[in-house]
Amino acid sequence: MWINMGPQHPMTHGLWNLRVRIEGEIIEEVDPEMGYLHRGIEKISEDRHYNEVITLMDRTCYVAGMSWEHLYIIAAEQALHLEPPERAQFIRTLADELQRIASHLMWYAAFVQDLGLMTPFLYGMRDRDLILDLFQSFTGARMTYEYNRAGGVRNDLPNGFTDRARKVMDWLDARFVEYDQLCLDSDIFHRRCDGLGVLSARDCIDWGVTGPMLRSAGIKRDLRKDRPYAAYDRVEFDVAVADGADVTARYLVRMEEMRQAVRIVRQTLDWLDKHPGPVLAERLPRWLGAPYAPVGREGYLLKRNYPTGRGFSSVEEPHGEAQAYVVNTGGEHPYRVKFRSPVFVNIAAAQKYLPGYRVADIPPIMGSVDVCVGEVDR
Amino acid sequence: MRPELLRERLGPLLGPRLLAVEPFDGTAGRVRFAREGALDLFRAVRDDLGYRHLAMVGAVDWVDHREVFYVAWSDQERDYVFLSTDLPANDAHVESATPVWPAANWHEREAFEMVDVRFDHHPDLRHLLTPEEYAFHPLLRSFKLHEPEELEVKTRNV
Repeated sequence: MWINMGPQHPMTHGLWNLRVRIEGEIIEEVDPEMGYLHRGIEKISEDRHYNEVITLMDRTCYVAGMSWEHLYIIAAEQALHLEPPERAQFIRTLADELQRIASHLMWYAAFVQDLGLMTPFLYGMRDRDLILDLFQSFTGARMTYEYNRAGGVRNDLPNGFTDRARKVMDWLDARFVEYDQLCLDSDIFHRRCDGLGVLSARDCIDWGVTGPMLRSAGIKRDLRKDRPYAAYDRVEFDVAVADGADVTARYLVRMEEMRQAVRIVRQTLDWLDKHPGPVLAERLPRWLGAPYAPVGREGYLLKRNYPTGRGFSSVEEPHGEAQAYVVNTGGEHPYRVKFRSPVFVNIAAAQKYLPGYRVADIPPIMGSVDVCVGEVDR
Repeated sequence: MRPELLRERLGPLLGPRLLAVEPFDGTAGRVRFAREGALDLFRAVRDDLGYRHLAMVGAVDWVDHREVFYVAWSDQERDYVFLSTDLPANDAHVESATPVWPAANWHEREAFEMVDVRFDHHPDLRHLLTPEEYAFHPLLRSFKLHEPEELEVKTRNV
């Protein structure tokens, strides 16, 4: 029997349809149907200025907008031959890690609610708001930041930001202990998570699975270490790895990643305190589109020499490894923009890690994947 | 792995089907190949060079031809390799990479519906993000935004 779990289903976390064929209670086959949230972001980008694509990036993944901005902007800068200042690199690192904590807290809140644990949900959402407050203080927005720019970031951090951020980090460090107590000490948690959704290391690699799902299979791979970008080669942190490749292992990896993110945030704050400087490259061409204000008419009237090039970037997004490919054939708009979403691949592998388990196991397993449909459908 | 080394390793295996290896920042190099050598190249890149992890497959419409590109990652080299092939626009098909990298499945489905590239011997070449009845290929340059199209969507019987 085929059953549709979605497009409106408490398990889906977004708009998609998981079609499963069941034999009694056992899952035999799965066929995810995507596209309910397809907005054609790659197509719209072709008609936009380079900096205007950043607006779309915030909407690509609405819980990890900053990471997607960063991903796109590295590829765009490579295609446009721009170099951001050092301070901007550290601010991007800081923003990425704050985003990682916010995204993982969102995952934590949604995931434990799937298991029927209501209290951790409220705690997770409460603490995520503290991160969003920090974002609001330096970008002006809580979810759609539009903060990165080709050649740097839009504005510097406000006065007193680093102290405020340190207080939040101290608060979070103490909360992580409570989260673990709420989940790992709970019998319900272990009964619903242990040994479910196992995806072996070999299958992970064959199916292109990345991020916490790959690291939960015992493979120590993190682009921040293996292929450092921004300022990641100048901060110290450990790669979170777990064994077991099941739902509990993914929980442990994400929890450890949050602790490591706090560690990175503290180091970048110390650096930013000591090294004032510009955050946006000088002499940026106006046709990039709105470093500060919309492009004026004079931007179109002058003849100019457009650079050409291709840009490829890859960042460790909270959900896994995301890639961007930007083709610049000379002109004010990118010729083609292509994004690779980690969740897209992790859902495609569902046909490997779902069959054999029971229908009631689907919410914890899919919850442990951390689905964000916005970036799957783009 | 540098572009020269890539050429040295892949050249004897592919012969004239290897067209060029260009430097490409952020990757080990951009390998351009003729589509006849697709599967041989994928196997060589995966098994001989160790790029076991396929990151993405995509396609670019260049109006007169279409470019299909593959990006793969190697844990040993800690680097990406970028493979690309040009297909004529009126006959855009290439061998599917799914026998070598199962991860190519959904990426190829997306390239098929968006840029109208056919992948031969793909196990399940259906539309992924658009409805099955959707007769347009949105990421072709000939598909213009701001021109509404008539579309009838049927729901699938389950």
